[in-house]
Amino acid sequence: MSPKAARAIFYLGTLISLILFLALTVDTHRQVQTLTHADQLSDQVVSGKRVWQKYNCNDCHTILGFGAYYAPDMTKVYWRRGAEGIRAMVKNPELYTTWRKMPNQHVSDKEIDDLIAFFKWTSEIDNNNWPPQDAKLRATERKVVALGVSSGAVLFQEKGCFGCHKLFGTGVTVGPELTHVGGRLDHNTIEKILDNPRSVNPKATMPQIPLSHEQRDQLADFLTGLK
Amino acid sequence: MPIAYPSQRVAYPYFAIALLLFVLQIVFGIWIASNYAFNLPQGLVDVFPFNFARPIHTNLLVLWLLLGFMGSTYYMIPEESGRDLFSTKLAYLQLVILVGTGVAALVGFVLRWTSGRPLLEIPFTLDILVVIGALIFLFNVGLTLIRARKWTVTQGSLLGGLVFLALLYLFDLPFYRNLTIDWYYWWWVIHLWVEGAWELVAAALTAFLLMKITGVPRATVEKWLYVELGLFLFTGIAGTGHHYYWLGAPHYWIWVGGVFSALEPLPIILMLWDAWKHVKERQIPMASPLVFLYAVGMAIYHVIGAGFWGFVHTLPPINYYTHGSQVTVSHGHVAFFGAYVLLNLTFFYYAVPRLKGFTKFNERPGRIGFWWMSLTMMGMGLAFGVAGVLQAYIERVMGFGFMTAQAQMQFWFQILVFFGLSMLAAVAYTVANILTLKPSPVAGGSGNDLKKTS
Repeated sequence: MSPKAARAIFYLGTLISLILFLALTVDTHRQVQTLTHADQLSDQVVSGKRVWQKYNCNDCHTILGFGAYYAPDMTKVYWRRGAEGIRAMVKNPELYTTWRKMPNQHVSDKEIDDLIAFFKWTSEIDNNNWPPQDAKLRATERKVVALGVSSGAVLFQEKGCFGCHKLFGTGVTVGPELTHVGGRLDHNTIEKILDNPRSVNPKATMPQIPLSHEQRDQLADFLTGLK
Repeated sequence: MPIAYPSQRVAYPYFAIALLLFVLQIVFGIWIASNYAFNLPQGLVDVFPFNFARPIHTNLLVLWLLLGFMGSTYYMIPEESGRDLFSTKLAYLQLVILVGTGVAALVGFVLRWTSGRPLLEIPFTLDILVVIGALIFLFNVGLTLIRARKWTVTQGSLLGGLVFLALLYLFDLPFYRNLTIDWYYWWWVIHLWVEGAWELVAAALTAFLLMKITGVPRATVEKWLYVELGLFLFTGIAGTGHHYYWLGAPHYWIWVGGVFSALEPLPIILMLWDAWKHVKERQIPMASPLVFLYAVGMAIYHVIGAGFWGFVHTLPPINYYTHGSQVTVSHGHVAFFGAYVLLNLTFFYYAVPRLKGFTKFNERPGRIGFWWMSLTMMGMGLAFGVAGVLQAYIERVMGFGFMTAQAQMQFWFQILVFFGLSMLAAVAYTVANILTLKPSPVAGGSGNDLKKTS
């Protein structure tokens, strides 16, 4: 190869790649507006991002798959845990982690609200269905609640109950499995637990989920039906 | 032949500090591996959590590699341009600023002072100091070259790489409101550093070393340097796309990233072939077999870690399951070791004896260190790799949840702590050897070559 050809490879290779990359960058900026629902990027979501950075969360957790690999990915955590699941975990991690522990960083209540808004927004980013396990879980959850087709069943998924409880083999076993809960607890007891988890079992670590009277009733209806 | 220009001596403190930070980096690496391998009490986790130990490990890596590059540049520039450095005082001032910033950052992490972006955690105030240090460096190197009025392709690649490196760092400075855009530009720093700017620097330092130790004519070395740089930048720039698959960026990045990064091993393989060919066709006797061992070892390791491991991991259908898992960590460790750690050590073993006024020394400890570190890193890469494959399968394919997978991986992290201790011993041994090199009448294992010279 002549030195001239070598130089040509250098200039041509660099230029082609650079032009392509910069052109796609411009287009990406345009498309990201839709893909990330930038219109819903409120000031609270941005404050939540600042909380995420302030406590250096990203050096244990990944988000969009980037960061450290010590703790679960947070992109779709809002699907897995729901708002109250996230709040409970950040406030008292020592109650919910066993052998690999999360530090209690004393995040304030307002900061947790912002963080939840941030996670809600990230969960809606259209990122080619990644991570696979959350995409799959979401699909199975939907199938499981479709069995119920009641408003209580839908609430069960929306409020993140799967984040701690198993139903027909789907979900997590931080809390008790609920597939046959209707055989163990009556409507009234379930409503009491939903209203204040510690009223029935004083040692319960379940967070209190804000629900209206009607929602509590619907959820208890659904759960008592599981026998 | 010892050094020809007195100002080259500024390189030595850069090398010495870099090596000490390297040892410290491994210490923190073992600590964070222990966080994976054992069950720590909540009281300890609350006081010194993983998320403030990891940045110490990673920032030490970046700091010592950059100090190594800068020291190597200060060593190389006078010989390339035939002129002493513009200012040795500025070089020392720059070292004080950068090391001071580094120490402040490390203490800051313990006190939880962070900007919260992985690998680029240092807060804005310290970023400014880094920029000042980098500007002094570029000013000093640039002015030396301008005054010398002698331009070579090797210098151009080095200076180009350094300017590119500094410019990209600017994308770290703003606060990004949109998380997707944030990560989009985060990769302009991280990816375009290690697969762009740093490769330019590495290619220049390698070309310089090859000319010095093999005597192959400049025209030949620099012709291939052009081709390598062209391929590095062609595949590397658009190859940034392999980080954009699951980011919330347009779908076409899966194609652009997939195709360009599949080509990324080409320049690395060319570099290996090139180094191998030059070593075989050397025009001058082998003054230091150890430097050859390091140079060839570096090129081979670069192909395995960055080339092969990188190639497999960035294929989109595989990456869907391995992205952000311990597979990434395995690739990161092996690639950094092969591409940049061994490069720095190669340069140190070439330059340190000359800075001390001799070329021949007992090379046995150096060889032991090389094989000890290289084999340990293979073990680490395998342990991370097995853990990563378990994670990809249990968590992502089967969908069993994060902690279920981690429980199955814990054993491999215990193995990793063992390899970490081995690495610490090997690195401490090598660093002690480099810092205490003494002249010896015969360089180990090169009897035949020596006869030819006399």
